[in-house]
Amino acid sequence: MAGYRLTYANVNRDILRTMEPPGKLWYILLAISIAFVALGGFAFATQVRYGMGVWGLTHPVMWAIDITNFVFWIGIAHSGTLISAILFLFRVRWRAPIYRTAEAVTVFALFTAALFPIIHLGRPWYFYWLLPYQQVGGLWINFRSPLVWDVFAVLTYMMVSIIFFFTGLVPDLAVVRDQAKGWRRRLYAFLAQGWQGTDRQWRHYTAAYLFLAALATPLVVSVHSVVSWDFAVSILPGWHSTIFAPYFVAGAIHSGLAMVIALLIPIRRIFRLDPYVTQTHLENLAKLIILTGLIVGYSYAVEFFIAWYSANTFEQGAFLYRVVGDYAWGSWIMIIFNAVVPLLFFVKKIRTSTPWLLGISLLINVGMWFERFIIIVTSLAHAYDPYTWGLYKPTWVDLSITAGSFAWFGMWFLLFAKFLPIVSIVEVKEQLPPPTKAEMTAGAPE
Amino acid sequence: MEVNRRDFLKVLGIGGAATLTSCSAQPPEKLIPYLIPVEEIIPGKATWYATVCRECPAGCGMLVRTLEGRAVKVEGNPDHPVNRGRLCARGQASLQGLYNPDRIRQPLLKDASGSFKSVSWEEAEAWLAGRLAELRQRGKGSGIAWLTPHTTGTLDQLIDRWLQALGSKRRLRYEPFAYEPIKSANRLAFGLEAIPTYDLESSEVIIAFGSDFLETWISPVMYAREFAAMRTYEHGRMGRLIFIGPRLSLTAANADQWVSVPPGTEGVVALGMVRVIVTEGLSKAVPKGKVDSIKSVVNRYTPQFVSKATGVEPEQLERLARRFAQANPGLALGGGTAVSGQEATSTLVAVNLLNYVTGNVGETVLFGPLSTLSRLSTYREMVALIAAMQRGQVSSLFFSEVNPAFTLPKAAGFEQALEKVPLVVSCSSFMDETTAKANLVLPTHTPLESWGDHEPWEGMHGLMQPAMQPVFQTRSLGDLLLSLAKRLGDAPAAVFKEENFYEFLRARWRELHQRVRPDVEFEAFWVEALRRGGEFKELPARRVRLNVGALPQALKGLELPGQAGSLILLPYPSINHFDGRGANKSWLQELPDPMTQLTWDSWLEVHPEDAKRLAIGEGDLVVVKSSHGEIKLPAHLYPGLKRGVVAVPIGQGHTAYGRYADPHHPNALDTRVKERGANPLTLLAPEPDSRSGGLLWLSARVTLTKTGTKYLLASVSGSDRQHNRGIAQVIPLEEITRGGQEAGHPTKKDHPVRQMYPPHEHPIYRWGMVIDLNSCIGCSACVVACYAENNVPVVGKEEVARGREASWIRIERFAEGPPDRPETRFLPMLCQHCDAAPCEPVCPVYATVHNSEGLNIQVYNRCVGTRYCSNNCPYMVRRFNWFTYEWPEPLHLQLNPDVTVREKGVMEKCTFCLQRITDGKARAKEEGRPVRDGEIVPACAQACPTRAIVFGDLKDPESEVSRLSRSPRRYRIFEQLNTQPAITYLKKIVPGPKEI
Amino acid sequence: MIGVVGHFDHYDRFLQAIRKFRESGYDNLRVASPVPHHEIDEALERRESPVRAFTLAFAILGTIAGLFLTINTAVSYPLITGGKPIVSMPPFLVIVFEMTIMVGAIGTLLGLLVNARVPRVLIGPAYHPRFSEDQFGLFVFCTPDQIESVSSIFREAGAVEVRHVEG
Repeated sequence: MAGYRLTYANVNRDILRTMEPPGKLWYILLAISIAFVALGGFAFATQVRYGMGVWGLTHPVMWAIDITNFVFWIGIAHSGTLISAILFLFRVRWRAPIYRTAEAVTVFALFTAALFPIIHLGRPWYFYWLLPYQQVGGLWINFRSPLVWDVFAVLTYMMVSIIFFFTGLVPDLAVVRDQAKGWRRRLYAFLAQGWQGTDRQWRHYTAAYLFLAALATPLVVSVHSVVSWDFAVSILPGWHSTIFAPYFVAGAIHSGLAMVIALLIPIRRIFRLDPYVTQTHLENLAKLIILTGLIVGYSYAVEFFIAWYSANTFEQGAFLYRVVGDYAWGSWIMIIFNAVVPLLFFVKKIRTSTPWLLGISLLINVGMWFERFIIIVTSLAHAYDPYTWGLYKPTWVDLSITAGSFAWFGMWFLLFAKFLPIVSIVEVKEQLPPPTKAEMTAGAPE
Repeated sequence: MEVNRRDFLKVLGIGGAATLTSCSAQPPEKLIPYLIPVEEIIPGKATWYATVCRECPAGCGMLVRTLEGRAVKVEGNPDHPVNRGRLCARGQASLQGLYNPDRIRQPLLKDASGSFKSVSWEEAEAWLAGRLAELRQRGKGSGIAWLTPHTTGTLDQLIDRWLQALGSKRRLRYEPFAYEPIKSANRLAFGLEAIPTYDLESSEVIIAFGSDFLETWISPVMYAREFAAMRTYEHGRMGRLIFIGPRLSLTAANADQWVSVPPGTEGVVALGMVRVIVTEGLSKAVPKGKVDSIKSVVNRYTPQFVSKATGVEPEQLERLARRFAQANPGLALGGGTAVSGQEATSTLVAVNLLNYVTGNVGETVLFGPLSTLSRLSTYREMVALIAAMQRGQVSSLFFSEVNPAFTLPKAAGFEQALEKVPLVVSCSSFMDETTAKANLVLPTHTPLESWGDHEPWEGMHGLMQPAMQPVFQTRSLGDLLLSLAKRLGDAPAAVFKEENFYEFLRARWRELHQRVRPDVEFEAFWVEALRRGGEFKELPARRVRLNVGALPQALKGLELPGQAGSLILLPYPSINHFDGRGANKSWLQELPDPMTQLTWDSWLEVHPEDAKRLAIGEGDLVVVKSSHGEIKLPAHLYPGLKRGVVAVPIGQGHTAYGRYADPHHPNALDTRVKERGANPLTLLAPEPDSRSGGLLWLSARVTLTKTGTKYLLASVSGSDRQHNRGIAQVIPLEEITRGGQEAGHPTKKDHPVRQMYPPHEHPIYRWGMVIDLNSCIGCSACVVACYAENNVPVVGKEEVARGREASWIRIERFAEGPPDRPETRFLPMLCQHCDAAPCEPVCPVYATVHNSEGLNIQVYNRCVGTRYCSNNCPYMVRRFNWFTYEWPEPLHLQLNPDVTVREKGVMEKCTFCLQRITDGKARAKEEGRPVRDGEIVPACAQACPTRAIVFGDLKDPESEVSRLSRSPRRYRIFEQLNTQPAITYLKKIVPGPKEI
Repeated sequence: MIGVVGHFDHYDRFLQAIRKFRESGYDNLRVASPVPHHEIDEALERRESPVRAFTLAFAILGTIAGLFLTINTAVSYPLITGGKPIVSMPPFLVIVFEMTIMVGAIGTLLGLLVNARVPRVLIGPAYHPRFSEDQFGLFVFCTPDQIESVSSIFREAGAVEVRHVEG
């Protein structure tokens, strides 16, 4: 669709078209996700009924893919804020058409991640004991515990991203409202909160949006640092490491970007958004992935170097076990998929070819999931006292709940794709030169 | 049957509760609590009763802690000479016999269809009396046979007299491990067919020829205590143990040197040593003439000859012999299943000779007081009984608490013979393979519910009293026999004047009273005996002379047993299950075998080299075939074996012994596990040893064939080696003699570490523990004691295999050194109660915090189960409640009311027995004084037969725990992590090879 | 309130219109546009938005709240964990930071709502759906007698549609 002429009017038209009543495919996908969510729910019910024992967890591996999923989804959640907030502050123009999807990924990934701290509890029905309120006998929660930092970090992150997401949506919702009929009109009229795009509204809106971005930027860095400290502040070899914060943040963005690409490509195809989400956008994301991939690779290298350099039996034991032990296969998946494969993006041909992009970004997501799995499980499986060494094998419950979490994310995303504009109408328009009398030269946004 | 607390309270006062069911209640004052009189019993306050442990023939003294009339814990009786307040794992588990869910709850009568139906006691007795009367009319009274385990004292007399009253003398005291070779060897050497008592404590060097005296041999708790005492390092001296035998048993693992020899050649080694001693003139207290004749006897056993026969290097043999001769005194022990081939008697004669030439006979080997085990029937007598049964000469067979159908070789044909006996009456507490074959089952009390007495050796009268009302509709064997006698008409009735067994017992004790303490009034004597747990009298040793003339004859048959190709099977008694009687107790099933670390199973130990040759891998299910039968067992590669030997623990493979012993039981704990071990006796030859009349445990030559299926072995050990992580540390003897740590490299403790934060105060007490690895023998009594004290759940084989065992304290077993000469180290690991505990700050809800007495406390009802604390514990001692575990009725009655039962989803761990600390402090407060040192003792420390665990207040510099924690052998595990544990370990002392 | 609304297809024309009205003394203008543009604010000479103040104030509030929460709760129920002091600042600062951001963000949202007068239920008659699509709307408040002149200015300025709005 090269040379397709973008005007305010057809921006409206094209993007609103994505919200037309869904086709068969959508319903099938939704049905599948709901089915898996149900399966996960059943597995959780079993856990509540009989106890944590239905998981594959054991002594000494008391955390495994429950926490793996938590960290994984938190990581996914990072791309959104990165693209929307940080790129916004840097005034990166190619951000406009993709940030909505990215933010959606953030919000839904957080919905998913937030489940696991509750699911993984031995007594999940008491999850609210983790919240900061005065409890029996005036006891509060232990603010020294990294798990409490998690609670605060995740809740903050969730709240800020939702505010950010919704604020960005309002003007677009007004657009939808103005084009919609019947119940949809009433719905979007409510969601748009009476937005009219008056000069006053726009003035405060732009200011507020800027500050939200400014707040979200340090937050995005802090959240995954905090998550990494769940491990870093422990004394377990393989967890107790100062490099974790930057290492995890980079990894998070790594997986986040990959996830965004993996989602944008089909969206772009299905909704024929090529003029908006162009090859350039994907390519730029790919370039970012090269950067994060390099950081991640460097972190791996440093971890092993330090283990060797420390001359510490326990450290060395832990890292040797990673690459040659029972879970070595996972470690190699992690190293190759996260640190080696992304380097292919140095080749322009590869980072500009859709199949390659899709394939590699999927591999990265697999790799990043395994990174968390390996860090958590191998370190626990071979901790200090050799007598207690043990293995973790997942049961159907572990797997169902994991599958359920992916389905849960998919479900939200499918709903999003049909009920909200997946590309920001307003910001795309902003990138266009406004229609002037002396015009007729407007082209596609670069 | 739901037994509720109030019923108990009602009957608690009625002392002879046990005799209650025999319709003759005892007035309250008859039952004397160990500590406080009955009338002072307060609900919630423990009452202690002294009795005797009958889990094995050793007869240790036991105190039973009862609360609201139910026994909740057993501990050793400090006043009892056998065990001095200590108890083994099996003794600790006796409670699970009392409360066993599979106990027989009322009399059972087999009907025509061959299935049991419950009947009332009245019916049962009437029926039996009828049958007996009939027998006697038909003049078959003499055909009545009585089979009991090792029974002594009053009950023993009662049974004999009862039999006589019915005109029979067929009475056997049957124990699977009856030590026949020891008796025959002593007869040949000293003309005294008896089992002596041994004095390990004052020995300087002990050489054990196959006798596992720390596990099951004769009196393990006593020997463990004495062994630990003799091996303590004092004024530059420390005892030594050398173990000579084909398998690295727990005892061998605790030896300073394990000399592995082919089975049956121990005697050759002994004679080799004798030869070195007599030729080098090192013999002690032996007249010149005798020395010469001995020389001539042992002349051919030159070091070279011995080395050829056994693989023991000549130098090594000489060094051992000289060392043993120097020892003042030494002690050579011999026996056990490892020494039970045709040559067993000769082997033990050789051992006797070794003791004789080194002057130990009369010093450490004491013929008098003799062990009452001397009175046990031999296996040959059992075989004779079986023959008689086959010939139909046995008109009826009575037995109680023995299980020959399981503990005799299948080929002995006991079960078939049983079919020929018209009337088989079982007076046992549990259904088992033999009882299942009985026509009538009269369920008896367990020892904890019965009156009685037990005499482990001459002059040692332990007194048993019921600790609580019977759990079920059972009766004491004594009462049963008496009331039967009454029903059998005048003649038998006339024999017994007494109303019930309690009276009978008192009558016997009146006689004893007359013999030993006529000066005091009987009631006082009786009360005192009840309090102390018995009447203990020292008897003088008898002098014995060596019968030199008989030696050449006695020593024959020491030529090597030929064993071409096929493997020798070594069945050994399991420390957990003894002869199999422990297998119905879930604690003992879940307790890892100290050496193999396996649970809930029996297995085939194969030397890795042999395994490689036969292409057998760990956990492969193999068919073990002998000329007498075959069994399927999983292979366990075990380097602690002489090549060519395979070993199997005895005790598993039950088919009718309750839910814990029998995997096919409808209520079995595991749903998927269908096979759990097998009974090696299936493979043994039935013929008794021609010389000793004992069972030839070593008779089987077996062949192994793989089935191709893998078998799930539930091991609790993640790694046999400690990967140089300094967990179980040792210190060379010469270093300690040079002044210990100061001489060696100092630990962090010596130059103070700078702490980031100021230390927190412990205003009054600071509880701490010291564990001496030089004393710990790995017997695991502490583990079971902890299960009993702290309501620790049993999770079953599948869960253990997953790593979910719940024990708060575990004995870590590490093997250092080369695989074939492993240097085994045991390390009790429990919550270290760190001052800077890594588990605490990571808990989001303050479920685990530090208290003002230095304890790391776990608040169950606050825990939400994030499990982070466990992940962050370097010692991995925290246990998680994966499910809500259950105690099948009536096992729940054993639960300690002072300790919470935890629900699913919460973390738990060792509390240093917080309930005992609280109790101790309360007592001190009442008396307005600080807690005395040693007043508070956690369950593990209390049980420890070797006093390896010491608990106390670290703030008091004079307390034993403080004193020990200053020892030069001190170290703390993972000190570099600065967790500042409250537990200090003392390094094990290892003599260098030259110092043996 | 009465006035005239002019619809513009073209941005440049629309800006000119704004300037013209201001020259001819009409200061009470209101604008509706599909996208924000600072030229519009400049043309209307609006001052800087006060939302920033909200953000700052609430962020500070968050910091204080965080410190209070952590320190106060720890002191009021002192429990020793891992041998660390009751008030251990390093971990507390994490909480403080998160609180700062969270409360700050809430403040920003509040600032937006308060200043931009959203949410509102009624949409004024002056609004037209095309303002959210591709047209720029200019609303001039005026007295009934001015309506004519205003409308004429609109036409000159090239408004594609001129509406007279009341109520």
